[in-house]
Amino acid sequence: MTVSALTRPGERDRLIVKIGEIDWIFCLTLCLIAGAGAVMLFSIAGSSWTPWAGAHLARFALFFAIMIVLSLIDLRVWFALAYPIYGVGLLLLIAVLLVGHHALGATRWLQAGPIKIQPSDIMKIGMVLALARFYHGLSGKSAQLSWWLLVPAVLILAPVALVYKQPDLGTAIVMLLTGAIVVILAGLSWRLIAAGVLGVVLMIPPVVMFALHGYQKARLTTFLDPQADPSGAGYHNLQSAIAIGSGGLLGKGYGLGSQSQLNFLPEKQTDFIFATLAEEFGFVGCVAILVLYAAVIFMALRTAYLSHSHFGRLAAAGVTATFGLYVLINGSMVMGLAPVVGVPMPLLSYGGTVMLTVMVGFGLVMAVRVHRYSEITSGKGSLL
Amino acid sequence: MAEPSIFFAEVNERQGVFHRRAFLLGGFAGVGLVALGAQLAHLQLLETQRYTKLSASNQFNFKMTPPPRGLIVDRNGVVLASNRPNFRLMVSKDKGVDPRATLKTLAEFVPLDDNRQTRLLKDISNAPRKSPVQIMEDMSWEQFSAINIRAPELPGVTADMGEVRVYPYGGAFAHVIGYVAKVNKTDLTPTGPNADPILLNPGFRIGRQGVEQAFDLDLRGKPGAQKVEVDANGHEVATDPAGDIKAIPGKEIVLTLDADIQNRAMEVFGEQSGAAVMMDCRTGDILCMYSGPSFDANKFVRGLTGTEYKELASYDHKPLFNKALTANYPPGSTFKTMVALACLENGYDPATVHVCGKAWPWGGRVWHCDKAHGALDLKGGIAQSCDIYFYQAALTVGPDKIAKVARAFGLGEEFDIGIPGQKKGLVPDTAYKRRAFPKDPVWHPGETPSMGIGQGYTHLNPLQLCVQCSRLANGRKALHPRLIHSIGGVEQPSGAAFGDLPFDDKHIDFIRGAMAAVTVSGTGTGLSDMGLGDIKMAGKSGTAQAFNYTAGHGGQKGATGEWKNRDHAWFIAFAPVDEPRYAVSVLVEHGGFGASTSGPLARELLRVALLKDPEIRAKVEHPLPIPQAPTVNTDPDVVDPPTPAAAAVQTATQAIT
Repeated sequence: MTVSALTRPGERDRLIVKIGEIDWIFCLTLCLIAGAGAVMLFSIAGSSWTPWAGAHLARFALFFAIMIVLSLIDLRVWFALAYPIYGVGLLLLIAVLLVGHHALGATRWLQAGPIKIQPSDIMKIGMVLALARFYHGLSGKSAQLSWWLLVPAVLILAPVALVYKQPDLGTAIVMLLTGAIVVILAGLSWRLIAAGVLGVVLMIPPVVMFALHGYQKARLTTFLDPQADPSGAGYHNLQSAIAIGSGGLLGKGYGLGSQSQLNFLPEKQTDFIFATLAEEFGFVGCVAILVLYAAVIFMALRTAYLSHSHFGRLAAAGVTATFGLYVLINGSMVMGLAPVVGVPMPLLSYGGTVMLTVMVGFGLVMAVRVHRYSEITSGKGSLL
Repeated sequence: MAEPSIFFAEVNERQGVFHRRAFLLGGFAGVGLVALGAQLAHLQLLETQRYTKLSASNQFNFKMTPPPRGLIVDRNGVVLASNRPNFRLMVSKDKGVDPRATLKTLAEFVPLDDNRQTRLLKDISNAPRKSPVQIMEDMSWEQFSAINIRAPELPGVTADMGEVRVYPYGGAFAHVIGYVAKVNKTDLTPTGPNADPILLNPGFRIGRQGVEQAFDLDLRGKPGAQKVEVDANGHEVATDPAGDIKAIPGKEIVLTLDADIQNRAMEVFGEQSGAAVMMDCRTGDILCMYSGPSFDANKFVRGLTGTEYKELASYDHKPLFNKALTANYPPGSTFKTMVALACLENGYDPATVHVCGKAWPWGGRVWHCDKAHGALDLKGGIAQSCDIYFYQAALTVGPDKIAKVARAFGLGEEFDIGIPGQKKGLVPDTAYKRRAFPKDPVWHPGETPSMGIGQGYTHLNPLQLCVQCSRLANGRKALHPRLIHSIGGVEQPSGAAFGDLPFDDKHIDFIRGAMAAVTVSGTGTGLSDMGLGDIKMAGKSGTAQAFNYTAGHGGQKGATGEWKNRDHAWFIAFAPVDEPRYAVSVLVEHGGFGASTSGPLARELLRVALLKDPEIRAKVEHPLPIPQAPTVNTDPDVVDPPTPAAAAVQTATQAIT
């Protein structure tokens, strides 16, 4: 197979061409979202760059650079490193359970000198890479229905189980759904999909009864009836709804959101930043941000669509799925459509690890775009 | 080379499946985002008003501001009960507040021993979230400022300035005015005025006795509210004065009392147990209503300690009772005025003479008098307070006619003076005997002589005796006592708005004449001179047995011995004799002989009242000439100092006014 007919062989490997191939509109959209996040963080800190807005922008700048660098890495390198990254991620997840840093009742970090590593974030990318790598070498028939499917099942469930154990329900759900989406995109038979959906539905009652932690159950019940205990467990849902609802069409004005400024809104700088935006900028501001998110999702998905390699397709789509799930889950949670599960709004929320994951993921998506004509010769065992 | 693992066609097929499914995924994402948008529209466009309200109720709190309690003043505007600033310290339960640690820290600034800390901890944990519990009040300015400076480091702690009731005269008015005290659970009602949430405000106090209790709602006023912006922890961020609702202060209550007379009553009673009531016998206004010994109402505002309360409650002089209304004792010889009037009204000839030989055998027993008075007519009988005369006088009219006269003079009656707690006592008659003694329903003739000298079943309180004396002195009107002059500027009905007494003026004049004789040549000889020249006092003494000591000796026996066995000393009096203005009744419990113990007290109180009466003052005062200061002055810059004499007169005048 050949590359584009309009380009001489080797031309696409030139750095300047690669940079030109990056989707700069996509990058601009990311900047807009992160910028909106900084604007909100500036407001809720009482018109101050500290403690959040400045750090948010600085991180974004750094991660943006990382994304650009990653997008220039040949897709075959990504392909080759897929399993090793997954392996390292899995080991780190196990290490976290054994020696991890304990914070807020959960063990999610590894401390290495000044650097805090949250292995679940590495794993979000690692799992997508590993699945894409595996399906790249699998025949379409096998991807539909075969014993080979036990491999992706293990690839997904092992890290999900470890993350769930931390406990980090939000991330576990995102990973599980991301994995499921990749498996489905790879061509899982509709019958199996239907059976899976049925299985999940049947599993909900026993999981709720036995497998969820007390606080997780409380979040679920308050989601179903947030008014029941407005100052207790339902507080988050209710205050968030108040912040959004009181914003109205045009918002209360920049810096004037009483819910966030007076601390009624919990976690206002992280999980609930969308609610502060809704309060100060109203329906108009919210729709604008949602349009930006939609644009990111569709541009990323289009990249997957255009890739010539199955690995590139599935990897880009997997990252897009993760991102989209974050947006949808956080949005639902903040608006009272889903229980509070501790999932941030990517790029808008303050917090380094999620932003790093997302930007590394988009680095991969951009790499897929830049190298969309690359041919990865074979599936099994190919190491460049 | 092995067969390629993936064929071209299959690769295309994989791509096709992916493309279709990616398209589907994009669709799902789109649906999800649209759903979010729809929910946003629901919250922000459809329900925005509801959430705006909720947001405002989060953001703003209305902090209740207690209204200033209404003042209580005397007839001349002298303040008897007002409010003073009060520095309070409060702690509220809230997120991130550890009350135990907070109290420990506070104990460094204000005295809080371990017991008190334990008790307060319980109060705090029982209180609803964010509702403050009062830790201390009446902090000094130093304590207040020390805590206020550290307030930011002490979450949940507030130090503010409230108001607390103060009674400038301490004890003199304690029984009439009562006091305010902290609200307890039994005060709270689910409906009505005591359902007002202001009662839950820390430091709020409710009227407990006397005027404070009876007019609590008038004095209370209406609470206002202060609009404050608060953050999620309930900390005040800002105030919004434009949103404040002003508190409506309580109404001012003007009493008919005169602070000077009342204070003088407290002075002259000293530690003696008893009561004095004085009325203006032209209007019915109560000028003085004192019960002694009294207590400091301010201590009740603060809250008594257990020991303090025990001391007051167990003291045999019973300082907690308002004896002016509750002390029910036989009126003794003061009642002879009623017996005499009953006789006159029923055709008794005042010239009728009985001879007193200290003992009088009648009805199978011997009746005694304190001494042998010899031959007396009715006037002499009253003046000398001869029991033997009145045994016989009473027998000529019988109990029912005496009781009818006594009741017309307000004896045994409960008056509406605004404050609760009167014990109306009893004026007996044959109907009473039938009612109360079913086993022995007959009024025995032997019971009449006792009634004739104000003993036996007859029990009356000092207010009634004052009313009786006022009506005698007034000679016409069935005056009623009035204690509350006005409430919030609305004058209360006068005590003079009542009909005339159904008695012959001449008969009442006769009684008054006899009372004038009492203080000139009778039992109260010497009491007529009040030190006010021609202004003289008339009165009637009374000595009531405190217990039934063996008959055979007169009242003098009851004037000595153990305090609790001594007789009760009564005196009723009015002045001036010729044109009565003020009437007083004085009771000294276990005071011994009425004329010698209570008489001088009655005279002193009347004297103060008369001195405050400008018309009387004009009569008794004779301005003395002041020598003209020499006007020859060579140096115009030197101003002559006022002569010492002139200055003294000026000061004296000021002192009296």
